[in-house]
Amino acid sequence: MAGSKVDAKVVLLGKSYAGKTSLVERYLKNRFLGDSVPYQNTIGAAYGAKTVTVNGKSIIIGIWDTAGSERYEAMSRIYYRGARAAILCYDLTDKSSFDRIRFWIGELRQHEENCKIYLCGTKYDLVEEDPERRAVSTSNAKSLALDCMAELYETSSKTGKDIDKLFTRIATDYMKDKAAAEQREKDAFTVKETGRKLPCPCSS
Amino acid sequence: MAASGEADQPREVEFEQPNISSDSDQGDFNESEAPGKSENAPLLASDSFDDLSYNDLGVNDHQTVHRGTIHAIVRQTSTSSDSRSNTPNNVDHDSLEVSAGEESLEESAESQMQNVSIADKQEAVELAAPPFSSDDEDVNSPEWKNQKKHVFILSESGKPVYSRHGNEDKLVTIMGVMQALVSFVQDSKDSLRSVVAGEHKFVFLVRDHLLLVGVTRGMDSTQQMLLQLMYVYNQVISVLTHSALGKIFKQRRNYDLRRLLTGAEKFFDNLLNLIDTEPGLLLTAVRCLPLDSQVRDVIAQSIVQNAKVKDLVFALIIAKNQLVTLVRMKKYYLHPMDLHLIINLVNASESFKEAESWTPICLPKFDASGFLQAHVSYLDEDCQVCLLLLSVDRDSFFTLSEAKDRIRARLVRYNALSAINSSLRRTSYSTQQCAISDLRHFLYKARSTAQYTSPELEAPYTKPEEQERLFGLYHYLHHRIHTSGRPLKILFHVGQYETLLGWVTQGFELYAVFGPLITKTGAIHAVNRLLRWIKREEDRLFILNSVTF
Repeated sequence: MAGSKVDAKVVLLGKSYAGKTSLVERYLKNRFLGDSVPYQNTIGAAYGAKTVTVNGKSIIIGIWDTAGSERYEAMSRIYYRGARAAILCYDLTDKSSFDRIRFWIGELRQHEENCKIYLCGTKYDLVEEDPERRAVSTSNAKSLALDCMAELYETSSKTGKDIDKLFTRIATDYMKDKAAAEQREKDAFTVKETGRKLPCPCSS
Repeated sequence: MAASGEADQPREVEFEQPNISSDSDQGDFNESEAPGKSENAPLLASDSFDDLSYNDLGVNDHQTVHRGTIHAIVRQTSTSSDSRSNTPNNVDHDSLEVSAGEESLEESAESQMQNVSIADKQEAVELAAPPFSSDDEDVNSPEWKNQKKHVFILSESGKPVYSRHGNEDKLVTIMGVMQALVSFVQDSKDSLRSVVAGEHKFVFLVRDHLLLVGVTRGMDSTQQMLLQLMYVYNQVISVLTHSALGKIFKQRRNYDLRRLLTGAEKFFDNLLNLIDTEPGLLLTAVRCLPLDSQVRDVIAQSIVQNAKVKDLVFALIIAKNQLVTLVRMKKYYLHPMDLHLIINLVNASESFKEAESWTPICLPKFDASGFLQAHVSYLDEDCQVCLLLLSVDRDSFFTLSEAKDRIRARLVRYNALSAINSSLRRTSYSTQQCAISDLRHFLYKARSTAQYTSPELEAPYTKPEEQERLFGLYHYLHHRIHTSGRPLKILFHVGQYETLLGWVTQGFELYAVFGPLITKTGAIHAVNRLLRWIKREEDRLFILNSVTF
């Protein structure tokens, strides 16, 4: 989006009630309200930014927490356009939310080739408490992650498990890509326009 | 529920002509000086209620559902920047043509006949409902039956979309009955409008692809119920757009619309609660937060100076359901019904309090075919003062976000934000401030500006039941004055517990509630004084200047 001072744009996608807002809430404000505040679905998308330091360099990541309701899917391009990373969230206790992930992978592959994908199973604390509740096995998720060359994380916004790890990884990946791109630029030939322009043959 | 003393034959005086002023010894009130009157209003003068007869409902969707405005703005601005490849609203405009057609007068007369004959068949309606099986507890529970007002939305094919009370899944049968009733009457080229059964009133509104049914045993008249159903329908449009709704049902007639409305139920619930408590929706007028006019100017200027952003159509600040300021693009106005949907969006969503948001919203009166994008943020820590920036440019989030920071900074610098907050903390104003004895409460609507004002609810209207009863009285008074068959200019109504006076002119609508013992002349003196008081306060109570970018 125009006018953004943000270095890396990150977008969260996934079915409603997958825990996207809680994930962002934990990362940006380091708190979890899911136990005290009733569920509130996101309207449209909420935006937040955070400055992180990777290898001594600080970058700003702008995070788009999108609404999961189906009616927003048609408009989701507004939110993921130009994103460097997409966190595709699914609820570890809800198979249907995992099935929805394939839809998002397809969308991103089609419209945003340069967007790196991170799979994120949420609500790990529930699964830890009662393994019976797990509806998406780690091996299933891993094979999907392999398919789309994505990283896989199983996180809990309640305990904070792996959330910083996920975002740190996004930031380092971003820096690596940027460094690689700069390197490529240096190595590439620079074609300079020299000399006078020839008059257009058909204009005379 | 005590109904305005109807049982004991209230005395009523109806005037076809306003002969009020002749009785007044306090100096006549000059109607052309109607308080809150302005040639330059920020809102569209509301047309809604008087025009809301059956005649313009039903088929003529194209009249109330405007389309193409967004497209026009985009076209107008995109000539300067050809970089934009696609229109900002993703719904394509040409995909849907609504069949036009005017309902003839004869037809409407016929339908009124239908109305009567159906009412006679009330018994039949109740019998028509099939016996419910045991797992239909919801419908059979006394709790459900005793709800004062029900609102149902169903698709044309009878699929449940929304029910105010109870789970739609368990109401499949009852919604089937509603659909059957409506299509039975439609079969004979007619339309079902309302059914009265005992103390219940059933009101039906058929719009494109949806059927809305309201059931009330309150004071709401049929026409008022229709207005409420219109609000509910517009809320659906606001979430989906009219074009998308059409497209969906064109593809699949029996589509389960609830899939697309997940998470939007709270908008309907909240809207219906607003309808039951907020007079503005009855009057199709908006209440403004009382502020000194200089402060309001500072606020508006802060927006104008800092939000000169291309494609920004409306910028407004809302606090506790009241309008603080509205800045608009030249040529474009906001309709009070659309503003109520915006207020409802803010009121119903907790999630805006957490972070800056960027959300699509369709304003049905502005352009029903596409979305505007709204940048929504709260300006204060307590999340009371909400700034909305509505644009047709889907990519302007960061531009608007920066504009918001500048606006906020300027509001803080000029102490305007604290002025808003202190106005919010103070109760609006007391009826006593008007210094009119025996006046208990009133609603005053300035018609040209679509704004209204009313004092705080005080004794004897402190308990919720009492407030509900007062609101019922206003519904009654409003209904009597606006009855389509016999509209009145003035109505003096002596009830058991209070006396009501309603007065409607070109410029204003006034509904006043007095103690039961006031005389007719006393009431007339009182409203004249009241009008003068409002006139003195009009700068503070109304937004009289429309500010544009």
